[in-house]
Amino acid sequence: MESLISVESILDKWNNEDDSLISILLDIQSEYNYLPKEALVTVANRLNIPLIQVYSAATFYKVFSLKPRGKHIINVCVGTACHVRGGQRIVDEVKRRLDIDVGETTGDKLFTLETVRCLGCCALGPVVVIGNTYYSHVTQRMVGTILNKYKKSENA
Amino acid sequence: MNMRFSDIGEFESLCGEIRESKKNESNELCLIVSSGTCGQAKGSLAVIDALRESLKKHNLDKKVNTRITGCHGFCQVEPIVIVNPENIFYQSVKPEDAEEIVSEAIINKKVINRLLYVDPKTGKNIKYEKDIPFYQKQVRTHLASNVLIDPNKIEDYIGIGGYSAFCKTLKTMKPEEIIYEVKKSGLRGRGGAGFPAGIKWEFCRKAKGDVKYIVCNADEGDPGAYMNRSLLEGNPHSVLEGMLIGAYAIGSSEGFIYVRHEYPLAVKNVKIAITQMEDYGLLGKGILGTDFNFDIDVITGAGAFVCGEETALIASIEGKKGEPRQRPPFPAQKGIWRKPTNINNVETWANVPLIINNGAEWFSEIGTEGSKGTKIFSLVGKINNTGLVEVPMGITLREMVYDIGGGIPQSKKFKAVQTGGPSGGCIPEEFLDTPVDYESLKALGSIMGSGGMVVMDEDTCMVDTAKYFLEFLQEESCGKCLTCREGIERLLEILTGIIEGTGKEEDIELLKELGELVKDTSMCGLGQTAPNPLLSTIRYFKDEYEQHIKYKNCPAAVCKEIISSPCQHTCPIDTEVPVYISLIARGRFKEAFDIIWKDNPLPSVCARVCHHPCEFKCQSGKFGDPISIRGLKRFVTDYALREGFKPSCKTEKPKKEKVAVIGSGPAGLTASYYLARKGYTVTIFESLPVVGGALYAYIPDYRLPKKILNKDIENIRNAGVEIKTNVTVGKDILFDELRDKYDAIFIATGAHKSLKLGIPNEDAAGVLHAMDFLKDINLGKEVKIGKRVGVIGGGNAAVDAARAANRIKGCEKVFIIYRRTINEMPAIKEEVNAAIEEKIEMQLLTAPVKILTKNRKITGVECIKMKLGEMDESGRKRPIPIKGSEFVVEIDSLIVVAIGEQPDVSFLDRNKFEISKHNTIVVNHETFVTSVAGVFAGGDVVKGPNTVIEAMSSGKIAAEMIDKYLQGKPLVREYKIIRPSMYVEPVELTEEEVMEAERQAMPYLSVSKRVNNFDEVELGFTEEAAIREARRCVRCDLETEDGKKQFKEEVESGKDKT
Repeated sequence: MESLISVESILDKWNNEDDSLISILLDIQSEYNYLPKEALVTVANRLNIPLIQVYSAATFYKVFSLKPRGKHIINVCVGTACHVRGGQRIVDEVKRRLDIDVGETTGDKLFTLETVRCLGCCALGPVVVIGNTYYSHVTQRMVGTILNKYKKSENA
Repeated sequence: MNMRFSDIGEFESLCGEIRESKKNESNELCLIVSSGTCGQAKGSLAVIDALRESLKKHNLDKKVNTRITGCHGFCQVEPIVIVNPENIFYQSVKPEDAEEIVSEAIINKKVINRLLYVDPKTGKNIKYEKDIPFYQKQVRTHLASNVLIDPNKIEDYIGIGGYSAFCKTLKTMKPEEIIYEVKKSGLRGRGGAGFPAGIKWEFCRKAKGDVKYIVCNADEGDPGAYMNRSLLEGNPHSVLEGMLIGAYAIGSSEGFIYVRHEYPLAVKNVKIAITQMEDYGLLGKGILGTDFNFDIDVITGAGAFVCGEETALIASIEGKKGEPRQRPPFPAQKGIWRKPTNINNVETWANVPLIINNGAEWFSEIGTEGSKGTKIFSLVGKINNTGLVEVPMGITLREMVYDIGGGIPQSKKFKAVQTGGPSGGCIPEEFLDTPVDYESLKALGSIMGSGGMVVMDEDTCMVDTAKYFLEFLQEESCGKCLTCREGIERLLEILTGIIEGTGKEEDIELLKELGELVKDTSMCGLGQTAPNPLLSTIRYFKDEYEQHIKYKNCPAAVCKEIISSPCQHTCPIDTEVPVYISLIARGRFKEAFDIIWKDNPLPSVCARVCHHPCEFKCQSGKFGDPISIRGLKRFVTDYALREGFKPSCKTEKPKKEKVAVIGSGPAGLTASYYLARKGYTVTIFESLPVVGGALYAYIPDYRLPKKILNKDIENIRNAGVEIKTNVTVGKDILFDELRDKYDAIFIATGAHKSLKLGIPNEDAAGVLHAMDFLKDINLGKEVKIGKRVGVIGGGNAAVDAARAANRIKGCEKVFIIYRRTINEMPAIKEEVNAAIEEKIEMQLLTAPVKILTKNRKITGVECIKMKLGEMDESGRKRPIPIKGSEFVVEIDSLIVVAIGEQPDVSFLDRNKFEISKHNTIVVNHETFVTSVAGVFAGGDVVKGPNTVIEAMSSGKIAAEMIDKYLQGKPLVREYKIIRPSMYVEPVELTEEEVMEAERQAMPYLSVSKRVNNFDEVELGFTEEAAIREARRCVRCDLETEDGKKQFKEEVESGKDKT
């Protein structure tokens, strides 16, 4: 299967060293957009560590998702500076419009909503990052327009 | 490139050449563009492309250097472009500015004024970075280098002296000497704990074992702190050189940089820098020909705040989940894979080469006794100049917030500064003069932390802030310790109850007790400091907790479940603002009128004169203009008057009790109306021949036409209120007589006695008091004033008096004399703007000294100019007279003095009634009952000069309390969470409407049409404008759990299709 080979090559890159577990998982997530169960099993086998240890790391760190994620990951910053500037309202507005909670993906697999506690761009707050695009000084009202942009380009 | 040096001398030689060639760099043509993460987020890459294209177009791409740097620090104005050799600083540059920069700034050597920074205080353009207020108090030993180098070019770093410290240590210093120097400097760890770096190094050096590790902790998890990011992105070599020196001193041959996952650019730049070091032979085996070996690995985190803690970080490097370990043993003894490990923060490492080159004395001369050197802080949140700030330890918080930070946006009131991230605390205004150093911040219940400084203002709720941090820490707790894992969750539960309006009084003590317990019994720094934000907010902002718990009030109007919508919550009479606004948006004006009238028996009055506290808390106002709430109310009440809408007015069965109300001002009228609706017989006693109190006597017609006021009063009479005019209690009828005849009394006599200014000749002819002046005009008496009129004061009475005087025939010039600046005038802003439009001259920062007279008649007023000094308790800068700046404002016949009023309570027996030293009646602040049972008081007679809506609020509450009293019920206020009585389906906005941040402009009578008459100036919205404005409402009422459900239900049931 194509996907498993990719996991194998990631493990090779890190020399099958178990202390590189987190880097391996980061690379897998980067490739697959999440951590598939089969990948975790493969990692456990190759690194010769119990699956529970892999699972433990996969569920400890916030970056990892064990569920498939959407095409566009909406990352709303809820760091202190953005919070003070109303970041939570942005999260609430996205939740309302897409009818998903934080960590969930829309039914059409287009969007996943995630939050991050500080991207280090506090002057731009409230900040939303989708892919590589940073949206600055985001207001509750702008959320709809931003989401529509992605919806439109999906339908086009 | 393969230049791997195997000899220090050769390497130093090359360094010397590079430095020599860069000596003249500042005289050469160069465009410096800031392009760190936030610069890129604001479009710096497009700016760089545009500049390069422009240079090419003009054939200058070979002649003009472009230097792409990391963060400069002034994040607020990124992207920044500095044009050398002139060193001109351009801010907020866009790609479309590129052509002009190249053709005008580079080729024609002209300064582009529109791209210069404008000093908000002076309004002047500033050309050079050094003159910008943001930079002036900074000591940028680190950040200045960010401007001078391209982080992806090791030659740039070498060019500013980079790696000379490392060479010095290799050539001339033994490891022990290096450690000694670092110890002597007093450098304390910059990651948060502040442990002396030199001592830590020594521990590690002395630990048993040949294999030792050093680590750079770049996890920077504190939200709001990004100093480390800017150093790693902008000057990675400074950190790497520090690590080289540290490794050499400690005896380590392997180092790690642990960077948090959210910093991809930092990871990229560090990796490039490491590759360049390897190319030069600064890493690997046998560095520069010595027997020193050292390699560095970059490890990325994966989103775990706790990994900023040393032992958790070690676990993460070992490939495990980041669970902290018991200390001792400390990492210096047993760290990564049980080997001695020294972990330091990014900024700590970056200080090392500077200390080696400049000496420990140089470093220890900066800062305070216990905290040496400079520190980079991130100044973020509610602050005008958001950015990275590098200052000597010991600078005060006030200097940070006001001098460097430029104060709070929208002139809002400062509330607190939060330092130290989730481990720190919130510091209130009274401690703004505290020096920023480790010990001082700790004494206040906070910590220095890694340097995050989040500024909070009056719109920040401190209870919500405590909850925010606890939520964060609950997610980030590794879960190992019961007390941290369960304790934080319990704290959060209790806080959530408080925020949702179900808090209990004993909760505060419980939070404190549990918080202290979690601190004492958790194993690692996360748990030990987790309760800090909570405990510091309880310590300094306990009243906010009490407001939430007892009064179901969130003063900052943040906690959604308590407030529903901030406008309704802030309104002293609980007007259902979002309901009537959403009805207007749907064209349902009659229903809107009913909603307004339900809570406000003087709606046409408020629609014209209320100072609209609702608008200051409007959510739309946070990112654009607030909704014109008063304007919309005005539209509805005018519409109602035109259409003849009658307020629906159900009255209860008549009751036998009688109530006397003294005073027919807003408090008296409101109380009477609600008491009459309850079925009581109500009689108002008014001493003037007219009804309305201050509304009639002091507010000029051009703001509130008498016929409009009388319409509202007519509605109140129709509810069953009897009003007797020309009856003065204490003269025409004694107070005790009223006590005999009536079952309860409400005193609402207001505050009308003008205070004396206390300057010589105040009693001269031609000097009038504002309230008397306004009263005479409003009562239709003939008022004689001269040609040139001065008004002293800055409140509504002063501005009303000035605008009224300006309208009287014969008056040619009016001055307002006020001792502070225009922004500090307490009068409603629209009134001040109208005064200026009407050509009233504002003599600001001016105070009266004495009134000049001739033959006992006024000829002028001697004034003195003021300047703003230090802040006083009201949070405003205290005005100080400028010696020798006296001057005379020539007034030919009249000054209208308006600085404050007091009540006249001479009709009350002071032996029975408690009266304050300001002559106000002392009442229970919740129930408005005086010291005499059955006698209540409200409005200005209790609060001193205050607003119309506050007076109405006291009337409304007093009516409720009087009803309780008369029915024999306990005199207790019940505080409930308020929800709107109905939810209206929101309108769907077009995309243009969504982006519309500006409010509809209120139409005014043109200035030329206002001359010599008192015609109403504000004209009111058209129907079209009102609907457009109402559609802008963000509908906060739909954001509570109730509101969310309603919306779904209404959509599903197909209701509300209009």
